Amino acid sequence: MRKRDWLGAGALVALLAALPLFLENRYFTGVFTVCAIDGIWAASWDFFSGLSGRENFGHALFIGGGAYAAAFMNGKFGFNPWWSIPVGIVVPAALSLVIGFPTLRLRGPYFALAMLAAAAIMQQFAVIFWQYTGGTEGIYGMSRLIDSSLGNYYFVLATLVATVAVLKAIAASRWGRILRAIKGDEGACEAAGINTTFYKIASLALSAGFAGLGGVLFAHYEQAVTPDDLDVFLSISVIIMVYVGGIGSIWGAACGGILLNLLLELLRGLGEYRLWVFYIILMLVLFFMRGGLVAPFWQRLQGSRA
Amino acid sequence: MRPRIPFLASAALMGALAVGSPAHAAAKKPILIGLDSPIQLQVGKDTVAAVKMAVDEINAKGGVLGRKLAYVVADEGMDPQLGVSAINKLTSEDHVNVLIGGYDSGVTLAEEPHIAEAKTIYLGIGSASPNITALVGRDYNKYKYIFRVNPLNSARQAAQIVNFADNVVKKKLKRNKIAILGESAVWVRGLVPVLVKGLEKDGMTVAYNQLFDETMSDFTPLLARVKASGAQFLLTVLSHANSDVFIKQLYESRLPMPYGGIDVKSMTPNFCSRVNGDSVGEITVNFVTRAPITKKTIPFWDGFVKLYHRAPVYTAPGAYNAVYMYAEAVKKTGTTKADPVIKALQKADYLGVAGRVKFDKLHDDLAGPGYQNVLFVQWQKGCKRVVVWPKELATGKVVLPPWLHK
Amino acid sequence: MLTVLIYGAVTSAIFAMLAVGFTLIFGVARILNLAHGTFYALGAYSAFALTTILKVPLLPAAILSVAFVALFGIVMERVLVRPLRNSALAVLMITLAVALTMQQVLFLVFGSQSKNVPAFINHPVTIHGVSVDGQRLVALSIAIVLIASLWLFIHRTRVGSAILAISQDAEAAQYMGIPSNRIFSLVMGLSAALAGAAGVIAAPFLTVRPTMDLVPMITAFSVVIVGGLGSIPGSILAALIIGYSETIVAFYWNPQWTGAISLIAVLLTLVLRPSGLMGKPISL
Repeated sequence: MRKRDWLGAGALVALLAALPLFLENRYFTGVFTVCAIDGIWAASWDFFSGLSGRENFGHALFIGGGAYAAAFMNGKFGFNPWWSIPVGIVVPAALSLVIGFPTLRLRGPYFALAMLAAAAIMQQFAVIFWQYTGGTEGIYGMSRLIDSSLGNYYFVLATLVATVAVLKAIAASRWGRILRAIKGDEGACEAAGINTTFYKIASLALSAGFAGLGGVLFAHYEQAVTPDDLDVFLSISVIIMVYVGGIGSIWGAACGGILLNLLLELLRGLGEYRLWVFYIILMLVLFFMRGGLVAPFWQRLQGSRA
Repeated sequence: MRPRIPFLASAALMGALAVGSPAHAAAKKPILIGLDSPIQLQVGKDTVAAVKMAVDEINAKGGVLGRKLAYVVADEGMDPQLGVSAINKLTSEDHVNVLIGGYDSGVTLAEEPHIAEAKTIYLGIGSASPNITALVGRDYNKYKYIFRVNPLNSARQAAQIVNFADNVVKKKLKRNKIAILGESAVWVRGLVPVLVKGLEKDGMTVAYNQLFDETMSDFTPLLARVKASGAQFLLTVLSHANSDVFIKQLYESRLPMPYGGIDVKSMTPNFCSRVNGDSVGEITVNFVTRAPITKKTIPFWDGFVKLYHRAPVYTAPGAYNAVYMYAEAVKKTGTTKADPVIKALQKADYLGVAGRVKFDKLHDDLAGPGYQNVLFVQWQKGCKRVVVWPKELATGKVVLPPWLHK
Repeated sequence: MLTVLIYGAVTSAIFAMLAVGFTLIFGVARILNLAHGTFYALGAYSAFALTTILKVPLLPAAILSVAFVALFGIVMERVLVRPLRNSALAVLMITLAVALTMQQVLFLVFGSQSKNVPAFINHPVTIHGVSVDGQRLVALSIAIVLIASLWLFIHRTRVGSAILAISQDAEAAQYMGIPSNRIFSLVMGLSAALAGAAGVIAAPFLTVRPTMDLVPMITAFSVVIVGGLGSIPGSILAALIIGYSETIVAFYWNPQWTGAISLIAVLLTLVLRPSGLMGKPISL
């Protein structure tokens, strides 16, 4: 990272931290909390799929896995909400191993569909085994991690910053280079004596763990968990966030998550036209800014100044 | 400052609503109602329409405590996340005095802790899960803000269905073997054992009992199994399910038995014409229909039709009642502060569109004669709606589906 | 038993109609079209609009609807997809955006309530003592006729051989002077028309509402992957397997499990035989 990147990142985080102070109301604090959680989800998706080129269409499996783990720990068994965090990281990471070993040799649409199917199966199970999961109503009556909504927001924001920092650091290391090489030519990597399976599995588990962490934060923010947290629509939304942010950059993906959720809330005034306008905007972005919006924009800004 | 946009938009909306009010009342801030509703769905559109109707009526008579009523709408969709942010927007951005709305029980349950944190009164008018008001009993001080004006909770609906089965299915139609089909929502899962127990206590047997996913779009296998079970009457419990398809396929299969129960989509006045008349013969629970249930029923119904050129769905009378009940409670206490208004609502006994509305200890609307009740309405020839039970409100007799006429 | 046989056949036929078009456009143009379910929904909704609102008789309405959907597919391919074709992910995302936008358009224009599309035959037909809804038999026959004609078209006409050539080796085909862009438009039109026709004929007995595109989309995706991406016979075989297994689970076990079972089947196929039943990655 160059000095300008540090400055830019610092300014952005400072802005995100300061905004709720000026707009002191629970609504905006809540909106920004969800924005930051979306950022965690997008960054965690980008770390695995953006770098390795295997598009995961079932990220909701990990998000929902973390959320339901939190709901069981806190909502059902009454553990202190902070216990949700380790459990909500470990459970999705374990799920990723179960699903990852058999499917990671797949590429392109095959891997995408395998993940989509896995998440959809889990969602069906959440409805079928309603005695344990609460079925379509989900599990409710959970407690907050931090009672003050501003405090909670800062905790989530800090988690986002830590997530992006950790994932970005790994992406810049040898590990990240190997993932990118796998995207380019997996056979060549294997020929060079690299255990690609290990790197793929470990990266997917890491991605799943962070997604699950985001799921935990979301569950405790909403104080409820429903099968929507495992929905294909959520998986797709995360991919859209990453795409808009700029695939492969991790921090751009996080910004994409923040931006899209903010946009959706800002469009509330449009009433029933809200989603329609949102998708039209999305279509225009996808069509005219093929590399995404945030990361390329920053790079261009750099280029023109340098 | 981009985040200010929704604030400005809602301020503009409030301003638009306040236009036309007399100068002396305009000086005071209006009492603001927040509607959280799935505005893309008919239930949501009718919630808004009915609230507007009630607000305009009350304002025409001078408002409440010299203040006008106004409302803002926030979409809650069928999505808990959208619902939570809708509640937060209405309470902490628009600073509404009261919340009215709801449809999907899962969304409402997710919203409840946020309503409680905002310490704002919530009048539920759409979701039926008993769990929603059970929270009031679990932690009264936290959840005392939650009330349900409409519909009757699902357990109360179940009790009425058993009553209907005993009096109409068994005694009039002479049918004892019952099959039950319901969607796999939690409130249905809670309701089915109550139904089975009640039916068996009244000397009927349950020959087949199956739940299915609300996204199911091919019911033929289920109907084949109902037929094979030898049941003589099919009880249905459908709310979010594709009941249009269910009815069409039931008609196609010429199911050899009469059928009926809860079918929320069939409560919609245009349901029968939407399925091309295939639902003739279906008996469904309704909370209101154009019949003289109370002295307010027909004026409300006709007024709604006159304004919007369509008949209202079940959320409309609930939303209309909720506005009036809140306005009366505020009038009585002379304030919009939550605690005294809650006390007034607890004591309220309001003659609504579909019967008296009175809350039990859990802030849940009571059922039974005189109170809001369950009407069993049958689609009959020409897509006419006929009330067949309870007796005192009946406008006609139960008939068998057309393909069973000899 | 006969009931299961007949209903399974109808379900499979609808799945096959969806899957064949999906796999065709992938095999030829390498387009993974996430708006495929939208074609199905648009077919049903245009049939509704024409028959109920504009009072057009059913048969011309059905033909017009299919033509409209085909046109929609062609325009979508030409305007939105073609400029992005060098990136598979960009195509995926833009077709997804089309699907989401059109779903909202249906909500805004037609509302959330489900609609009724008239059936060609509105009375039950009895086959060996089993009463079957007439429209389902109509759907089954139309599906068989359409898929068979597509097969003949591809294997017996000049244009068909051009399609085959491109799907086998796009570059070589181009050197041979085959106008690949025009072929892409044609195939997209065919693919959309098939899905649209499935929407028109299934609408009377299945559901017509704005969100009706998602389940057929996932079904088509699953069938195609199980059958082998790009393979038409594979799709038909997979449609039969998934269609019948769903029907059998629903009739003999528990309708709650139909969705989960077919998804598990998909996942197992991917794990055990990722190239699908009809092995070769590209074949028509």
